[in-house]
Amino acid sequence: MISVKKVHNKPLNLLERIYLWEIARGLSVTMRHFFVNLFNPKGIPTVQYPENVIPLPGNARLRTRHRLKVRADGSPKCVACFLCQTACPAMCIHIEAAEYTDNFVEKYPAVFDIDLARCVMCGMCVEACPEDAIAMDTQNIPGAAAARENLMLNKETLLGNLPGEPSTEGAANRLANEYLAARGDE
Amino acid sequence: MTAFFEANMDILLFAGAAAAKALVFLGAIMGFTGLLTLAERKVSALMQDRIGPNRAAVFGLKLNGLFHPAADAIKMIFKEDFVPGRAEKLLFTLAPLFALVPVLALFAVIPFGDYVMVFGYKLDLLIADLPLGLFFVLALSGMAIYGTFLAGWASKNNFALLGAMRGAAQMVSYEVVLGLTLVGLMMIYGSAALQDMVRAQGALLFGCVPAWGVVCQPLAFILFLTAAIAENKRGPFDLVEGESEIIGYFMEYSSMRFAAFMFAEFAEIVLVAMLTATLFFGGWQVPYLYETGFIFPGGGALSLNHYLVSAMQVAAFSAKTVFFAWFLLVVRWTLPRFRFDQLMSLCWKALLPLALLNILLTGAVMLALGKL
Repeated sequence: MISVKKVHNKPLNLLERIYLWEIARGLSVTMRHFFVNLFNPKGIPTVQYPENVIPLPGNARLRTRHRLKVRADGSPKCVACFLCQTACPAMCIHIEAAEYTDNFVEKYPAVFDIDLARCVMCGMCVEACPEDAIAMDTQNIPGAAAARENLMLNKETLLGNLPGEPSTEGAANRLANEYLAARGDE
Repeated sequence: MTAFFEANMDILLFAGAAAAKALVFLGAIMGFTGLLTLAERKVSALMQDRIGPNRAAVFGLKLNGLFHPAADAIKMIFKEDFVPGRAEKLLFTLAPLFALVPVLALFAVIPFGDYVMVFGYKLDLLIADLPLGLFFVLALSGMAIYGTFLAGWASKNNFALLGAMRGAAQMVSYEVVLGLTLVGLMMIYGSAALQDMVRAQGALLFGCVPAWGVVCQPLAFILFLTAAIAENKRGPFDLVEGESEIIGYFMEYSSMRFAAFMFAEFAEIVLVAMLTATLFFGGWQVPYLYETGFIFPGGGALSLNHYLVSAMQVAAFSAKTVFFAWFLLVVRWTLPRFRFDQLMSLCWKALLPLALLNILLTGAVMLALGKL
């Protein structure tokens, strides 16, 4: 059963058909906005981003600038598996893998670059990561910079962590935790 | 040589004064037009609770976006000047000139003040005091159609041609209304020279109301403003360009050729504002201000210096121009665009009969008052 909504367009009365009075009413609205904003520019809700940044609403669940998570010993969780680089539709991730000298279990990223100028903030790298090593929860909205170089994130910037990290729990850290326990550092 | 100067003193003075006036007046208009491109963006921003452009800076000095017109000009100059391969090269180049030159030429007949005495030489404050100034205005604004149509035709692009057809049809239609609304003014003031019409508007009706065109011809004012906006291809009648939806006649234009069209459009805003002020709001007239100073209807009088009076008159004209330019911007950013059939039926079914009715009413009233 298709529901049909019947619209009753009332015919225009004479005053509306002359159009001038309605124009005057429309102009009064826009002119009111014009003068209110002209004499009270502080009332305009525009934020002068990126000089001024308003705090995001609490617990905003949104994709923001990337970060790389670290383990308890400060090494990156990332094992340089290239899944995020493969998944990235914008091809903005560049990884160069390297091997630990004392750890034959896994690799680590020697270079991990993200070009925010190309990033489309789709979050596919986060979805693809088997190690839960990359996250987009810094609450830092990228997008404006005076130079392209300022939009290049390297490994050091990405490893800057949030309070509450590093996490040593979760299945993804099993190998690393076993390795750390076997080495007997902790 | 000295003998030559002495023999031709009058003509040389006239030529020199005309050149000086043209330089000053056109310079002021050019500057104002440039600022208007910024004003359009700022006014629309303020109307929509935004801030508008404010980033262009010179040495870190932003001045709330005052450098944006200069930045736009520089950007336009450095863009690629593209001519389509199959375009008519000559007409393609001429079209922006046809759009721009008539508009600039029209400013010659606009009186921006009464007169000012300079070293005993009486300087009329308008560039060309044509006895048929109003017809000059109508003739040259008709020329602007060539710019629109040549642009569409010379591009050899079907969409540009369609845009040009729309534009030409609109401008030709509203040309008729524009001409007929001004007939009533010519009947009242008995002259087609703009300076004479402004002087006639200095008279008082019933001893207290200034005889401005809007008081004598309120219907003609509304019709004129509507037709002038349509002629200008702006406001709710900008479907010739239809920036975001339908493609306009200058779609193949880029760089300074495109800038010439845009500049002509903004200069036309200034022109329409000036014509509205001149024809319907007393031009440079300040109410109750005469050559010797203020003479109020109640009997009070205030004697003023000649130069002060002249300055006040030019200032009054400038203020009226700025007001109407602003008003045209507000109208443009308030009203939704007309459809083409609505545009045509508004012109032929509403404005044209009303313009004819206005002539009839004016004639009837003048006959009743015994002034015919």
